[in-house]
Amino acid sequence: MSSAWRRRAFLAPIVLLVLLSLAELAPRLSALQLANPDASRAEALRAALAAVPADGVALVDIDADLGTYPEVRPAVRAALDQLVRRGVRIAVVSFSAEGRAIASAELDRMQRLAPAAPLLDLGFRSGAEAGLVRSVRSIVPEGVGGAVAAEIRRRGGGLAAFDAALLIGGGEIGPRAWVEQVRTRVPQLQMVAIAPSVLQPELEPYRASGQLKALLATVRDDVAYVSAVGGWSAPRPGVAPVSGREPSALAILLGMLVAIGVLVEALAGHLLGPVGSPASRGQEER
Amino acid sequence: MSELFAAGPAGAFATWVAALVTIGVWSYLLGQRRIFRLAQQLLAGLATGYLVVISVRDVLVPRLVQPLAAAPLQHPELWVGLALVVPLVLAAWAPRRIVAVPVAVLVGGTAGFALGGAVAGTLMPQLGASLVSPTSPGGVAGGALGLVVTALVLLSFLHGTRRGRIMGGVTALGRWMMVAGLGGFLGFLLVSRLTLLVDRVGFLLGDWLGILR
Repeated sequence: MSSAWRRRAFLAPIVLLVLLSLAELAPRLSALQLANPDASRAEALRAALAAVPADGVALVDIDADLGTYPEVRPAVRAALDQLVRRGVRIAVVSFSAEGRAIASAELDRMQRLAPAAPLLDLGFRSGAEAGLVRSVRSIVPEGVGGAVAAEIRRRGGGLAAFDAALLIGGGEIGPRAWVEQVRTRVPQLQMVAIAPSVLQPELEPYRASGQLKALLATVRDDVAYVSAVGGWSAPRPGVAPVSGREPSALAILLGMLVAIGVLVEALAGHLLGPVGSPASRGQEER
Repeated sequence: MSELFAAGPAGAFATWVAALVTIGVWSYLLGQRRIFRLAQQLLAGLATGYLVVISVRDVLVPRLVQPLAAAPLQHPELWVGLALVVPLVLAAWAPRRIVAVPVAVLVGGTAGFALGGAVAGTLMPQLGASLVSPTSPGGVAGGALGLVVTALVLLSFLHGTRRGRIMGGVTALGRWMMVAGLGGFLGFLLVSRLTLLVDRVGFLLGDWLGILR
C-alpha cells in the first residue's frame, strides 16, 4: 500500500468521527426530520399501550442485545414512561443473560428517576424457548413478594395474568419466539414489540398479520413514537422521562452518504478491474 | 444522555471508564490493535464472569440447590435433570453412549420447541394471513407481486433437473431477487449500525464531555 493510501486510510475514520460530532453539535434543521411522517405505526403502539387499563398489569420483556439496544433505547424508555404515567403496574422479565443486564440497568434507572413507579423485577428466566413456555403457567418466582406479584398470582400467576406484553427484541429470544411459543398458548395476550432495524424484515409479517398488535422497528418510527408520547422533553416529577436529544438526522444522513460513497468506490474499483482497484494502484506505485 | 449511570463519583467513574473504552475500541481504526485487543479481552472476561454469576445466582442456587436441599423427595424432576446434566459436564471423560442420551434429549427438545412453534406460530398463521383476499387494487397488485417474487426465489433453488432456456432465465431472475432482498437487509443493518455510532458520539459529547445537553 502506498503512503498516500495509508494516509487516506488513517485519516478517513477521523474525518468521519469529526463530521459526525459536528453534525451532533449542529442545531437541528427543520428541513431534516428523522421522525417518520407516517405516524401510523407509532400511533398503533401508543394506542395499544393506552388500552392497558390504569389498574392493569403490563409485562415488559427486555431481551435486547447490547449491540443494538442504543438504537431502540429512547422508544423503550418512552413506552415505559407512557405506562408509568398512567399508573400501570409493570413486571420486567428477561429470557437471555444479555437482556437481563440491560433490564437491570433500566430498572436501576427507573427506580432512581421514578421511585414511586409500581415495578416488579421478575429477573432472569433460564431455558430460552422452554423457559418461555414454562412461564405461560407460572412466571413469578417463589419468594418474590409485593403488590404487583400478589396481583399477578391472584390472576393465575402465568402470562395470561397480564393485560399486555411489551417485547423488547434484538437478542436470541425476541418477538418472533414470543409469537411462536406464547401467542399459540395464550392468544388473548396483546403483544407489542420494539426491535432494532435489523429485525424489521423478520417481524413485519407478524405485524401485518395482526399477531403483533404494534411494532416499532425503524429509527424513524421510534423517533415518531417518542415525539407522539411527549418525549425529548423536560423531566416530569414522579416519572422517568426520556431525556436527551432526538438522534441527529444530519449525522445519520452524513453517515449514509459516506457509506454509499465507500460502496460506490468499491463497486467502481471492481468494475474497472486491475486498473482502478486501490490494491493494484498500490502495486503499480510500488 | 444515556442516563445509565447515577450521579455522583461512582457514576462519573463509570462514565469515564465507558468513554475511555469507547475511544480504545475506536483506536483500532487508527491501527492501534493492542488497545482494541485489551478492550476485547475485557469484554470477553466480563461477559464470562457475568454469565457465571447469573447462572449460579439466578439458576443453580434458587432452582436446583435450594429446592433439593429443602425437600429432596418432592422434586423428582430435578433429580432427573441433574442426572442428565452430570454426563454433559463430564463429556470429555464419560463414554460416548452415556453422553449421547442428554445430548439427544437436548437436541430433540430444542428442535421440538422450534419446529412446533415455527409451524403453529409462523407458517400456518402467515399462510392464513396471505390467503385473505385483498379488497383494494393496490392489495391485489401487492399480493400478486409477492406471489411472483416468492415463486421466482423458490424456483432459483431448483437443482438436479435440466433447465431450459426459459427456466435458466427464471432461476437467474430468482437469484437476483434474493440478492435484492439481501441488499435491503444490509441497508437495514447499515442504518442500525450507523445509529449506534451516532449514539456513541452523542455519549462522548453529552455524557462524558458535557457539551451536548
